[in-house]
Amino acid sequence: MKTVFSRIRFRDAGTLLGLILISAVFAAQSDTFLTTPNLVNILQQSTINACIALGMTLVIISGGIDLSVGPVAALSAVLGAAMLVAGVPVPLAIAGALAVGVACGFVNGALITWGGLQPFIVTLGGLSLYRALALIYTGGTPIFGLPDEFRALTNGTLMGIPNPVIVVGVLAIAAWVILNKTPLGEYFMAVGGNPEAARIAGVPVTLTKMAAYMISGLMAAVAAMILIGRLGAAEPTMGTLWELDAIAAAAIGGASLMGGRGSIPGTLIGCIILGTLRNGLTLMNVQAFYQLLATGIIIIVAMLIDKVTSGKEG
Amino acid sequence: MKHILKGALAVSAIALSLTMAQAQDLAPLNSDSEPDRMDWSELDAKFGALPPPAAGTKVGGVSKTLTNEYWRSLGEGYQNVATKLGVELVYQAAQNEGDQLGQLSIAENLISQGFNALLFSPQSDANLVPALEAAKAAGIPVLNVNDAVIPSAEHYVGNVQKGNGVNVANWFITNRPDGGKVAVIEGQPGVYAAGQRTAGFTETINAAGKFEVVASVPANWSREEAFNAAATILQQYPDLIGFYANNDGMALGVVEAVKAAGKAETVAVFGTDGVSDAYAAIRAGDLTGTVDSFPVLTGEIAMEVSLRLMAGQPLPRVVATPQALITKDNVETYATTDMAALRAALLAK
Repeated sequence: MKTVFSRIRFRDAGTLLGLILISAVFAAQSDTFLTTPNLVNILQQSTINACIALGMTLVIISGGIDLSVGPVAALSAVLGAAMLVAGVPVPLAIAGALAVGVACGFVNGALITWGGLQPFIVTLGGLSLYRALALIYTGGTPIFGLPDEFRALTNGTLMGIPNPVIVVGVLAIAAWVILNKTPLGEYFMAVGGNPEAARIAGVPVTLTKMAAYMISGLMAAVAAMILIGRLGAAEPTMGTLWELDAIAAAAIGGASLMGGRGSIPGTLIGCIILGTLRNGLTLMNVQAFYQLLATGIIIIVAMLIDKVTSGKEG
Repeated sequence: MKHILKGALAVSAIALSLTMAQAQDLAPLNSDSEPDRMDWSELDAKFGALPPPAAGTKVGGVSKTLTNEYWRSLGEGYQNVATKLGVELVYQAAQNEGDQLGQLSIAENLISQGFNALLFSPQSDANLVPALEAAKAAGIPVLNVNDAVIPSAEHYVGNVQKGNGVNVANWFITNRPDGGKVAVIEGQPGVYAAGQRTAGFTETINAAGKFEVVASVPANWSREEAFNAAATILQQYPDLIGFYANNDGMALGVVEAVKAAGKAETVAVFGTDGVSDAYAAIRAGDLTGTVDSFPVLTGEIAMEVSLRLMAGQPLPRVVATPQALITKDNVETYATTDMAALRAALLAK
């Protein structure tokens, strides 16, 4: 057990080093990059992906995958926005929207555990299903006119730090505690590492998987709340390709798609790396196609380093 | 008097929004029906020649995606004017048309860099709202250029979307005096441009009395879906006389279906946008026509409008950009890459 933890910390240090290297390059190229507003900007822009990626990391550690996060976010966004516009009190509307996310996660988890279906296929179905529900509910048009009272929550700052960054920070700590300090965290690792052994050892495999997908749905709904607060509107089309950004961040941060391995700090740094890349390349006026190229190279390099270092240790 | 009042109202609205950093003071923009508007052709007459920009003027453009010819052409238009007048232009785009957050990041990143004006072509009505508000707070004028309409935008430059459909309907009314059955292939449901183009066509052709719109189905801007939809419609209504598609990609799919059904002689097909493939298909006699909205020229006009705004000219909220129905008869006139000649042809129309 001890070696596992030290290995992950070693891996996190590597991810952090990558972030520092990338930042150094941008700082040398652009005067704007290291200014406080820009750094706050990067964190702010990374919050949505970080939120999704935290849930995704837990799912990946438990040996699954959740491709439905974007549409789940869209569905809870439009339902939450509809409640807000209808005059439902803000805390109640937020709770309702988060419940929608958890419910979607429950459906995914139920089909995977009780239905015995593969996570990839179930959540791929969910990807279409939840998107369709959001589109059908809204007729394809965005919901505008969210109350200022609600928007103030996401657009406010605390000591210069945007509220969404604080929210995601708190959620990350919670996820870290769950993963590293509670039995549930050990169950995630065990189920992802070797489901059969876990079952024999008495780990409640079904409940563990269920919990992972419900947390993922919840995090998607939180991301949705942050986004609609910032935009002042909820769109049924939002959240396209969020799942891939989240998987990329988790992978850069050291999560193994085979399950059993992953790190919350690593995922967070992974998100910041992706946000930093986009920010720095825009400041340097690099065109979209090359930005995509850079993102691809970073993901593959991270995987290669992962392979080399794990080879050394193994 | 009314105009002065309106101007005063607009100024106070801007002042108010600056102090409150809120965008709720302007009525939500509907770019087709906003009364505070003018046509691009009146710019010179009403506000004089383009004022020369100050030295070191920087303008930033944020576009949808460079994988679509339309947005590349729009950037070309920005660049034409920028090069001619010595303005520095940064033109950035998201990775694909679904990348709403990526586009928002790009827009936010540009705001911190000291641009004199920003030209936004948003992915959706809402995704660039935070950037618009941030730019407003920083005192940077923002132009919403075409397609998705930000409800709180103070300045909009673009096409009258409804006019696209009206132009095509008028062709049918003039050239098919006996009337008949027609069908519409729509773009993505819920997208403003798609809805307005369809409404313009349907309302105009229904008002003529002799036509019947027998089908109006979405094909989500996809050539393949348009092909399938058109094939089905042709089977169901063998006496159909024409299709109107909300964009050229779909129109070209419809053309294939019409040819496959052996009805190229009797069924007229129209698209919208005026992409190069559509021009080629019109020359070849496959596509009956398209409504070109001249993206390069639109880009030039948007850039010029931003320079006029920087010079403090009190322009109306909406500046409508040119469009024209292109058929075999006039295709060579409008196919020119010489923008001065194109402007002259459009102004003479």
